[in-house]
Amino acid sequence: MFNETKFWNTFIIIIASLVVVYALLDIIVLRKLPKRSKNQNILINILLGLGLLSIMILLIKSLGMFLFLQTILDKVLSISVLALATTGIVLIFKTSMTTNFAQGSMATFGAFVAARYIIYLTSTTTLTEIQKVFLAIIASSIVAFLLGILIDVFIIRKAKYVTSIGKQMITMGLVLVISGIIPIIFGVLPLTIPRLSYEIVPLTIFGQSLTIPRHSIYAFYITMIVLVVLFTALRFTKWGLGVRATASNETVAKMMGVNTRIITAMSWAIAGALGGIASVLAAPLGGQVTTGLMVSYQVNGFMASILGGFSSFGGPLVGAILIPLLQGLLSYFAFLWQNAIVYLIILLIVLAKPLGLFGKKIAKKV
Amino acid sequence: MLYTVNRHLERKAKLHQVMHHPYFGFFVLGFLLLLVQIIRISGVNIPTTVLRGLGLTMIYIIIALGFSILLGYAGLASLGTAGFVGIGTYLIGYLTNAKGLSVSMILVIGFLGAIAIGTIVGFISLRIEGLYLGIITLGLSEILNEVFKNATAITNGTNGLLMNRIVLFGQYYQFNSNTIFIAIVFILIFVMILTLNIMKSPTGRAMLAMRNSESAAQAMGVSVLKYRLLAFIIATVYAFLGGILYMTYIGFSIPTTWNLAFSLFVLAAVIVGGSQSILGVVLGTFMIFGLDLAVFQQIPLFQENPAITFILNGVLIVVVVMFYPGGLARLITNLKYKITSLSKKLMKKWKAFKYGEDD
Repeated sequence: MFNETKFWNTFIIIIASLVVVYALLDIIVLRKLPKRSKNQNILINILLGLGLLSIMILLIKSLGMFLFLQTILDKVLSISVLALATTGIVLIFKTSMTTNFAQGSMATFGAFVAARYIIYLTSTTTLTEIQKVFLAIIASSIVAFLLGILIDVFIIRKAKYVTSIGKQMITMGLVLVISGIIPIIFGVLPLTIPRLSYEIVPLTIFGQSLTIPRHSIYAFYITMIVLVVLFTALRFTKWGLGVRATASNETVAKMMGVNTRIITAMSWAIAGALGGIASVLAAPLGGQVTTGLMVSYQVNGFMASILGGFSSFGGPLVGAILIPLLQGLLSYFAFLWQNAIVYLIILLIVLAKPLGLFGKKIAKKV
Repeated sequence: MLYTVNRHLERKAKLHQVMHHPYFGFFVLGFLLLLVQIIRISGVNIPTTVLRGLGLTMIYIIIALGFSILLGYAGLASLGTAGFVGIGTYLIGYLTNAKGLSVSMILVIGFLGAIAIGTIVGFISLRIEGLYLGIITLGLSEILNEVFKNATAITNGTNGLLMNRIVLFGQYYQFNSNTIFIAIVFILIFVMILTLNIMKSPTGRAMLAMRNSESAAQAMGVSVLKYRLLAFIIATVYAFLGGILYMTYIGFSIPTTWNLAFSLFVLAAVIVGGSQSILGVVLGTFMIFGLDLAVFQQIPLFQENPAITFILNGVLIVVVVMFYPGGLARLITNLKYKITSLSKKLMKKWKAFKYGEDD
């Protein structure tokens, strides 16, 4: 179906030529990073765009249209889950200036509650599968919402004067605490969460007959609704304005009458709720609900946010779409190595653009 | 009479000099660890898990010391420690099993490799700073972990790599973990002395200046490039050394050990202990790794509920970071100061009571 060696040769040539061109530019033209002119930035953007485009074209050409589209459809679920997780991470980074390692744990806690809630619903009521899972999603997001508020009120708010690395350590301590509490509360018996639907839907795009699980379609809808509501809220409500003000400068925001405490607490809560939804959607993929359920999504979420740049909300979403997609597409050529290759590509991109694809440089006074 | 008084004072001064020598604590620690082995040799039955826990803790102290230079002195937070330690383990494992190279040769290769990798990461750190650097090194560690998992020819993949003998001076030795334990004690003392010398030398002070204010340090003529590279090289060399010792001591390396959690635990150990003091790093590492490995696993309550250790460690980290930003080392210095001032006060009162209030 496709010629693997030819693909690899072309792939390596593209990457290597890009790296060489960039390195030459970097050494000769752009040596000092903070002082790039507008034209130089455009040059780098064009270079990156060309690189991504050529990789995509190469992938489509060597995989064929059918496999390409089918992989995209297979990855819809991962993209949805990762988009939710990444948005949570970025939201907390904006308001609390720290990378939240507990994002995955908060979400996992929600998933455990959801699994227990499904068992409870099964024994007491006669709801259909999809209703039960839907209720479980709501339960999970509410629990994670409350957990987020608790964490902020009792810990992060008290640690206002801790450095951002210190805050990172606190979230890491929280990971340990939560993953210790989970077996005590929920026991060690294996818990499972069923899919929203086990049906597989045939689909025709560009004359190719493809299939997609209905669970992915539902996940995509839920993610779209949640994210659209969230982004609208960020854009048009007073809370969103407060978040943006807090993100740009907490002290000044406070002086201007923004209640940064409530803003931060709500950000933690909403990040938790996003994680709660994501974890219930992701849980059926791995079979059982375990404490390590969200670890890979969390690492990918960090990589996505760094790829897109923490300074905007849209950038990390692009990262969250690109990462699973590239992983899925590359797995045809280098099974097992796809993660390493994707991370390597991200590393190279971030080296060229340290603030991410869509990051903006914020001038800092020293 | 005068002569003996002088001799007495002299002896006292000498003792004071020895007691307050910066290396004194290292040798005491080394002696205490050796004492464990001596007790074992004299016939007391010490559980192997305790010995193993102590040995592992020593190895982690070495890794954490390198990390404390990186974090406490150069101010660079890296989450790639696990990957680098993992490389160290696979380096000695592969070279011994497949090539039959001797330990000294492997140490030299590891040293050179660590310098190369440290330089690369150092160059990355010039571009990317703060939390971004943490995430990028995390990505690097993930890449390395994928390599450990998938390069089955070298690392034996997810089954883990076994190494049950080492080559020393051209001969194979089946090693005994107790002998290695003693060797690790001496290496630990050497590394601590080395670290102290780095910290107190112009290099350490330049790094400290860079950490506090990069612009000010540059204005004073400190080359950021040089010291960042140096900090990463030191941390990587220590991590490689730790990996090589780990493989020699445990004899087994599996990719799941070298995950994100390990890097975070090392970071936690350094932060909890206090990132700028060797005492702090030792205490922190013992708190995070040692208590669990050597002490808690002996107590039935913790054996039955491994979750409790997680909760304890987590609460410890949160509390220390929130309330004692200087770490346990600062806490101990504060306590010492309070105790001495209290004892002085009591002494004064006692004297006033005994001799009357004349001074």
